[in-house]
Amino acid sequence: MSAPQRNELEALGLSASCADVVRHLWDYLDDQLTPEGAERLRAHMVSCTTCRGYSDYQTCFLEAVARVRTKSDAPSSLRERLAAGLKSEGCSCWDAVRKERGGN
Amino acid sequence: MGFCMATVAAHNLPPVPDAEAPMPSDGSSASAADVERRDAEFAREALPWIDDVYRFALSLTRDEADADDVVQETYLRAYRSWHTFIPGTDCRRWLFTICRNVFLRSRERQRPTVDLEDGEQDALAAGTVYEAARERGYGDLYARLDIGPALRDAIDELAEPFRSAVILVDVEDMSYESAAEVMGVPIGTVRSRLFRGRRLLQERLASLAAEYGLTPAAAGSDR
Repeated sequence: MSAPQRNELEALGLSASCADVVRHLWDYLDDQLTPEGAERLRAHMVSCTTCRGYSDYQTCFLEAVARVRTKSDAPSSLRERLAAGLKSEGCSCWDAVRKERGGN
Repeated sequence: MGFCMATVAAHNLPPVPDAEAPMPSDGSSASAADVERRDAEFAREALPWIDDVYRFALSLTRDEADADDVVQETYLRAYRSWHTFIPGTDCRRWLFTICRNVFLRSRERQRPTVDLEDGEQDALAAGTVYEAARERGYGDLYARLDIGPALRDAIDELAEPFRSAVILVDVEDMSYESAAEVMGVPIGTVRSRLFRGRRLLQERLASLAAEYGLTPAAAGSDR
């Protein structure tokens, strides 16, 4: 799609503008846009290399942040302490704390 | 514009459990069978999430000993308040809610009440950060595999409540709705805090890049 064609669609409200993309890209990537809004953003990005580059940049950012999540198991000393705490509360399942591993 | 659902969504969250709700005291005592059933439910629903709660506590406290204390208190409160947990709902989210409350109380701080008016300002500012990064040759910064340590440090430096929003939504992959329940705020506030946190992260990363030895690509390159 050429820039003039895109401008025509923008004028008709059928495509978002570059400013709309910058303003709402995070909403789009978080799946928080209305279906109509998402479609207008997509329609713009199909033909706008600048906005596609920005979308790639923000997508990479979110993927990099997601990769920060590491496997951090609760240490056994904490499990022992928690088991003792639950036991003192009268919890009959206190011993399971020491055996239970990884919900996710 | 009619673009965004988060800004117009009604604040219609499920009830947030009271982390300190006492056991019911209606004069009757629970039977041994009731206690056994309650404990079995607790073991089945709550205990599998210890590692997740620990990881979340560690990201909030940034200190292993403090995280231990927060997890311990979280689970003891969860056990005492188990009658407030609604079966069939998300127990991990419920535990995260208690965990964050314990953390905030441990810091002797009230629950943050920062309400940003307009997350879009942060989205627009992030666009400016991107342009500046591209000009300096860092347009591909987040595609790099060696960004992790700098990113982790930048997240640790984020102030509350922005850190919680980024951790819950972007790191722990929670929905806006779940994060809103954990943080005790409307969905629109989660969005505002999240966008501010992302913007602050990107600004910080832009300045940290050289410090971490992340060399720029050719200036102006996208990827």
